[in-house]
Amino acid sequence: MAEARAATSGFARERRTIASAWVALLLLMLASLGSAYLRLGPGNMVAGLVIAGIKGAIVAWLFMRLRQAGALIRLAAVAGLGAWCLLLALSGVDYATRTLTPTPVQRPQQLLPAQAASEPR
Amino acid sequence: MTAATLTDAPTEPGLDPDTGKLGMWVFLASEVLFFGGLFVAYLYGRTHFPAGWAEGSRHTDVLLGTVNTAVLLTSSAAVALAVACEEDARQRRWTARLLALTAALGVAFLVLKGLEWHAEWREHLVPGPAFALHVAGAQQFFALYFVMTGLHGVHMICGIAALGVLARGRSRERAWARARQLEAAALYWHFVDVVWIFLYPLLYLVDRHG
Amino acid sequence: MTTDTLPASYLDDGLTLRSWLATTDHKRIAILYALAITAFFFVGGAAATIIRMELATPAGDLVSNDGYNKLFTAHGVIMVWLFLIPSIPSVLGNFLLPLMLGARDLAFPRLNLLSWYLYVAGGLITLEALLLGGVDTGWTFYTPYSTMFSNTYVVLTLVGVFVTGFSSILTGLNFIVTIHTLRAPAMGWFKLPLFAWAMYATSLILVLATPVLAITTLLVCAERLFQIGIFDPAFGGDPLLFQHLFWFYSHPAVYIMVLPAMGVVSEIIPCFARRPVFGYDSMAYAILAIASVGFLVWGHHMFVSGQSLAASMTFSLLSFIVAIPSAIKVFNWTATLYKGSIRLDAPMLYALGFVGLFTIGGLTGLFLASLALDVHLTDTYFVVAHFHYIMVGGTVMAYFGGLHFWWPKATGRMYPEVWARIAAVLVFVGFNLTFFPQFILGMEGMPRRYHAYPPQFQVLNLLSSAGAGVLAIGYLMPLVYFAWSLARGKAAGANPFGAKGLEWQARSPPPTHNFDAPPVVPAKVYDYHADEPEAEPVP
Repeated sequence: MAEARAATSGFARERRTIASAWVALLLLMLASLGSAYLRLGPGNMVAGLVIAGIKGAIVAWLFMRLRQAGALIRLAAVAGLGAWCLLLALSGVDYATRTLTPTPVQRPQQLLPAQAASEPR
Repeated sequence: MTAATLTDAPTEPGLDPDTGKLGMWVFLASEVLFFGGLFVAYLYGRTHFPAGWAEGSRHTDVLLGTVNTAVLLTSSAAVALAVACEEDARQRRWTARLLALTAALGVAFLVLKGLEWHAEWREHLVPGPAFALHVAGAQQFFALYFVMTGLHGVHMICGIAALGVLARGRSRERAWARARQLEAAALYWHFVDVVWIFLYPLLYLVDRHG
Repeated sequence: MTTDTLPASYLDDGLTLRSWLATTDHKRIAILYALAITAFFFVGGAAATIIRMELATPAGDLVSNDGYNKLFTAHGVIMVWLFLIPSIPSVLGNFLLPLMLGARDLAFPRLNLLSWYLYVAGGLITLEALLLGGVDTGWTFYTPYSTMFSNTYVVLTLVGVFVTGFSSILTGLNFIVTIHTLRAPAMGWFKLPLFAWAMYATSLILVLATPVLAITTLLVCAERLFQIGIFDPAFGGDPLLFQHLFWFYSHPAVYIMVLPAMGVVSEIIPCFARRPVFGYDSMAYAILAIASVGFLVWGHHMFVSGQSLAASMTFSLLSFIVAIPSAIKVFNWTATLYKGSIRLDAPMLYALGFVGLFTIGGLTGLFLASLALDVHLTDTYFVVAHFHYIMVGGTVMAYFGGLHFWWPKATGRMYPEVWARIAAVLVFVGFNLTFFPQFILGMEGMPRRYHAYPPQFQVLNLLSSAGAGVLAIGYLMPLVYFAWSLARGKAAGANPFGAKGLEWQARSPPPTHNFDAPPVVPAKVYDYHADEPEAEPVP
């Protein structure tokens, strides 16, 4: 009987966690939506990604149960993200440092990134 | 010199409940890189065509996108609850219904997505000669929009199928629809949700105040 | 139940075609892979034969320009994706990993069978593209040629590659989970055979790198079919985006091809030198280092592509660093031989050949990692020679060495030692005759992927083509004597080479369940002693 009660209270706790997480996720979604209508410049993308990151972390930590998982599972969980960061970081080195030199034969759309870079903000 | 220790009998593959969980997480790691290539292409476009990305994003249906996000977040909560119910003897009767609810929410997501795509096709937002927007990069934005949401949709279909089959199997008390399999399927579903969590601001919220 | 009523081995456990095509036994799946891979090897080899025949004379007179483009593309696509990547992991890895760990099978046996079917399906799709007329983009599918201008079966080939990729990913997943969860309880990580370490590191790359190839093939197909413009410079797209995505996979892919070979060599050399491998811990760490640092160097394929100088310098530096763990392994293999009691059986000939040829290949990689040299050497035969030294002089030799070493275990038969040694020597001589002249050709400026060349390059090209003939004989001989050994080979005992390792405690060939009694994990791994008597006599 005590087992059943303990099990049920364990379930009740889990249910509460899921419900709170769900509410938090929806509120964060609305925050993301709202922040998009504010003029934050580059802050818009930052806000969007940070909020998405928090939402993803809630899903991973609470729904996907990384909270209770061992080191191996947690390592597997971040391995993909880590490898992706390598892809982004090193190709980013190329994109951040490559200079575009327009030539006369290029079409207008191709010149747009270079023009945007030289335009006054 | 040798033979210091004797081993136990070789373990039967598949009996350890954590094996499936580890297997699914390893698979999800590969999926992060599968979608990851698209996110890299997206970031390339966003940094090189800020105006085109903004123009394109303004023409996505932010209402449908937001509703869909809410639907998917709810479905994740539903399947998480299903797994929790399965682990409690007194709540086990709800598992199959929660799995079915999750699958139904997934279907709702796909229906809304289909409506969205149909509207975009009618508005000439599908890349091609008749593309409606004339800012450089807007066409690439929508090309990536369709590829990313399309690939996400394919993953949704697989998830819905898996959950549907498991819901039926669970309601018939099949041996292959136990906590182990449900947890693995739930992990996959949550992952598909997380991908959408990132797609939402990246596709729908680029320049809403423009 | 007496042993009389049980099938004697996994080969007798079901004699119908269906029992093979529906098997979940890792050993049978390994055989299925071996047959498919061998078939593809000879198709890719046929393409190479025609290429070398064409290149024997300076004029492009055997095939047309387009025909030649299709030939080297077919050779590359088949050899990389349908032969090298699956060879050691899917044949030797599948067969040996559970045995080496003391397990009954892999963690997910049915997933293993699915991997084989995906491999065959992908291979058949690629073959179909070949038969319909082929692809002419090179195995690297560079944009914008592949997306905008090529009039060949690009999409079909890429679909085949995509499907085969998922075979790789699932195999890697299976190996990772198996090594984590199905090791014999007494087998800690630092008692694992180095082959298992190599399989683990390879599997990490399979799981993390291959999906990027998969998405890249989808993007190329989307660009080609729907002109999405992401790689098209006319729309502001970037051809280098393709190259970054493609090489992010394709560089670690070469470590998928070489790490398993290193694992095989680490099993063979201690056995035939009767010495424990030198520096086991550093060998294991070096394997992990190669796999991880290998993810950081892909831009060295893009030095002259328009990549920024800062990125090129970064990738050049990282490429020098990745050579260090490989060098450590070469030093350790050499040190293992010191004061050993060396027997030059066929597996050992292949393993020693690997060490020498991999060293040459690796050193020439450093030439190419130097920015200034690469400007001169890129897209010349120097590059072709470099990667063939690693892939063929390295991986293929290790694969053959492994096939010979574990042939008695898998079939219960000994191969004919004299013929095997002759074949090994022919392979070594033929290989060097084929590819060493190509280093010189490259330095003298002969570009790759051209079938007509100035007459001053003919002598070296002729030597290379002659070498290819010798190499072909060396490769065909095992086909004959392995088949012969199945019928007439001497019966092999459980451990004809006196090797350590749990797989040698199983019968030859093993029963389906691998071990009749739980295998004994020795206190020390590679517990060889040069002064002890070696092989048990074959009954």
